[in-house]
Amino acid sequence: MAQVVLKDLNKMYDDVHAVKDVNLNILDKEFVVLVGPSGCGKSTTLRMIAGLEEITSGEIQIGNRVVNDLPPKDRDIAMVFQNYALYPHMTVYDNMAFGLKMRKFPKAEIQKRVQDAAEILGIQELLKRKPRQLSGGQRQRVAVGRAIVRHPQVFLFDEPLSNLDAKLRVQMRVELKRLHNRLETTAIYVTHDQVEAMTLGDRVVVMKDGWIQQVGEPLEVYGRPRNRFVAGFIGSPAMNFIETTVADGAGALWVECAGLRLRVPAERSARLAGKRRQAVVLGIRPEDLHPATGADPVDLTCEAVVDVVEPLGSDILLDVKVGNCVIVVRVDPSVRLRQHDKIRLAFTPERIHFFDAKTEESLQ
Amino acid sequence: MTRRRLRGLGRGGLCALVVAGALFPISFMLVQALKTPQEDVFGHPLIVRAPTLDNFRELFGEARQERGLVGRVLLRTYPVVRWLENTLLVFGASIVLTLGLSVMAGYGLGWLRPPGWRGWRRGLLATYAIPHTILFIPLYQVVIRLGLEDSLAALILTYPMLALPFCVWLLSAYWERLPRALEDAARVDGASRPAVFFRILLPLSTPVLVAAGVFTLGTVASDFMLASVFLTDPRVQTLPVGVGTMDVGLEELPAVAAINLLAIPLALLCGVFVRSYVRGLAAAMAEGA
Amino acid sequence: MVAAWLLLAPAAVMVAGVLAYPVAWEAWTSLTDLSPQRSGPARFVGLRNYVELATNPVYRFWPAAAATLAFVGLTGAVKLALGLGLALLLQRPFRGRALVLLAVFLPWVYPASVAVIGWYWTLNPPLVTSYSRLAADLKQAVDGAFGSGAWALASVGLFNVWRGAAFTGVFLLAGVQAVPADLFDYARLECPSPWRRFWFVTVPLLRPFLALAVFLSLTTGLADLANVWMLTGGRVVFPVLGTEAYWLGVQAGQLGPAAALSLTLVPPLALVLWALFRLVDPPEERPR
Ligand SMILES: Nc1ncnc2c1ncn2[C@@H]1O[C@H](COP(=O)(O)OP(=O)(O)OP(=O)(O)O)[C@@H](O)[C@H]1O
Ligand SMILES: [Mg+2]
Repeated sequence: MAQVVLKDLNKMYDDVHAVKDVNLNILDKEFVVLVGPSGCGKSTTLRMIAGLEEITSGEIQIGNRVVNDLPPKDRDIAMVFQNYALYPHMTVYDNMAFGLKMRKFPKAEIQKRVQDAAEILGIQELLKRKPRQLSGGQRQRVAVGRAIVRHPQVFLFDEPLSNLDAKLRVQMRVELKRLHNRLETTAIYVTHDQVEAMTLGDRVVVMKDGWIQQVGEPLEVYGRPRNRFVAGFIGSPAMNFIETTVADGAGALWVECAGLRLRVPAERSARLAGKRRQAVVLGIRPEDLHPATGADPVDLTCEAVVDVVEPLGSDILLDVKVGNCVIVVRVDPSVRLRQHDKIRLAFTPERIHFFDAKTEESLQ
Repeated sequence: MTRRRLRGLGRGGLCALVVAGALFPISFMLVQALKTPQEDVFGHPLIVRAPTLDNFRELFGEARQERGLVGRVLLRTYPVVRWLENTLLVFGASIVLTLGLSVMAGYGLGWLRPPGWRGWRRGLLATYAIPHTILFIPLYQVVIRLGLEDSLAALILTYPMLALPFCVWLLSAYWERLPRALEDAARVDGASRPAVFFRILLPLSTPVLVAAGVFTLGTVASDFMLASVFLTDPRVQTLPVGVGTMDVGLEELPAVAAINLLAIPLALLCGVFVRSYVRGLAAAMAEGA
Repeated sequence: MVAAWLLLAPAAVMVAGVLAYPVAWEAWTSLTDLSPQRSGPARFVGLRNYVELATNPVYRFWPAAAATLAFVGLTGAVKLALGLGLALLLQRPFRGRALVLLAVFLPWVYPASVAVIGWYWTLNPPLVTSYSRLAADLKQAVDGAFGSGAWALASVGLFNVWRGAAFTGVFLLAGVQAVPADLFDYARLECPSPWRRFWFVTVPLLRPFLALAVFLSLTTGLADLANVWMLTGGRVVFPVLGTEAYWLGVQAGQLGPAAALSLTLVPPLALVLWALFRLVDPPEERPR
């Protein structure tokens, strides 16, 4: 039973406030991903959980035990580092056995656990080698292997895949997920890659400048971002943002800017009603726009001119100009368009987001 | 909380001990230099009650008569200013020469890597294994043959031997590890090889150069033997040799003052660079030396 | 390629130019009976000087070798232990670390050429000072226990430790910082005992730096001794290989045995050097 609870967690370096009032309840067996841009305090948070970094204020519980003053070795956690931190002077076997040896496990037990872990990760043949004789992917496996031999209460991962090439990264991502399904150990995973966050996490924690921006299941964070930062950070290509003004007319609210005039769907009007003649930011994901057909209501469409065509195979990304702004649209690969072609785009009404222009909070 | 505080206390205590041990001899010598002859004999060994700069003034030949203990006639005057000038000249020139040569050799070995470059580097370092005990005898023969006796040039030409091997090791180790792409990228942009070196490699290596420079200064400043053999004429001596010739029995206090005169500024000068020094050494030795 | 050789040449010429003749002279002289006190050319005597050294107790070779080993071994061990301790103390950031680091650095950069004078005269005060009694008592106690000259040697040793520990400490601190911090962090997570952590992780990771530090501290240990004989005109009479060579060569004028004596230091140093290259600079190119 190892849930991890962070209460009002803060970290100050001399003049940098790296982690600010972080509150988080991580359930037993849960896979939680901390994601955010570089320097947002993810690693610091993780290292405080590990005990490698002192806590400035707040509290950390692991499995109902306050661990603030517990040294890292007594917290029953295992950590995988970005650069793997394998010992160059030890063989793979010794690297994997290190934590157990240091805790004076019996030899037979160590051997069994290392063999089991090696089997799970498919690295039995590598046990006699030294780390420098391994490829990046193999080192990565060893690093994971020496975490799982310990049977810890919690796994901590600090960007474990970021040193791998794109293909290997996808493969290891799947393996980590499978591993987690099999071991059912609580895991906290840090990454700056939102695709990793979405695919791996039971829940995703988005951070920025030391603050938690939003906590939720991946699709919830994707579908209902709490603010403009989360909306822009999660999803690839990123959400389009258009600065608009709210206006009245014909018994409905409208948002408009140069080249664009959209009727606000009725169910959104309530939040926008108080914003008449004020600026709001409209957000729409590339996949929530499509070439208009007769079925689309005209007041949810706009004119656009194709600027760049990026065929991805599975679909095509179009950079189009609407008035003065450039937005990205994801369309079916069957759509044939070239630069300077004119196109009419339709917005999927229930997928339109509005954000306060000043606070950047979602106006959901 | 208590545990952490305890650890902090332990570390604080250790640090205090370390600082005391490191600074005690330095401060002891400084304290002696500030004493009057009376206090030197009757005072407390560790404290000076009435600090005075008389010993320093005496060194420069100003405060002679104030000393009643020993008759004036017995005392030599010492060309301390000359000694200081000579010392700074020798140290400065040796550092420039050593750094210049090690940068060249370090670049040649660590970046261009001709066949057998490791052997050369090791060969240079291996010269440290030659004991210097009586080496000064044949060395002095060479100096005489070259007509360099009582000339600072003799020191300037021999001192690099003391620091150069390590500096070459350091610089070549650093350049060996720098990514080749640095040069490729610059050359694609049209930079020549020397331009790459002066515009890119050298500026990147500042901490390592500082480390090499401080090492050279520290090493050169620790030689007493060669200087005392090569320089016998008081007018061309460096300060350490000069102080070594002072009659410590009669002039302990001015001698100690002279020591402080050279040592404290030099130590502080190096102290300013301590962080660069550590950073430079670490940069050169990253990834297991 | 040519450029590489041209760039290397000045450094090589500088070092070889200074050392080639003296080393050759020393090697040759050790095979002759060269002496300024005897007229006529030096005669070639083969290995007789070496045999004499080893067999004739007049030369006090074995006691001197033992004392040298003890001096270098003891100061070397203490310098290494202190230096490693200092490096580990300064490894993690804490308030005031910069100042402690500065203090640790000062003994090494305090120019030894003058420090050795001050140090030596401080511990062997030539005339009445406030602490002369204390120093004299100490000297008497140490000399009484270990033989005359022991106190002087001990004071050189103390000086060498003071200065060498500073160098080693700062050098190893650089070594610690050259090792990726993750490696130490991982050990903190996994290893309950600091003692085992030290032996299983810290020492192996620092091994190349330790080797280099040991080598440099050996050579500076010998150099500090040399400075003191020079300074005191051979007054440090405790028999150490270096002092004996100096005494034989300069005072007694027996240059042949003196050269042989100082060359006996070469094989052990070469051995250390060989070990150093194995550790620091492994012969095979590392896969990158
Ligand atoms: N030892 C330190 N001293 C001072 N500031 C630090 C220290 N470590 C981290 N910081 C600062 O704290 C903030 C958070 O750093 P952290 O390493 O947690 O970022 P991160 O989210 O992991 O970023 P990345 O994705 O680049 O790893 C940054 O602004 C960083 O500069
Ligand atoms: Mg990080």
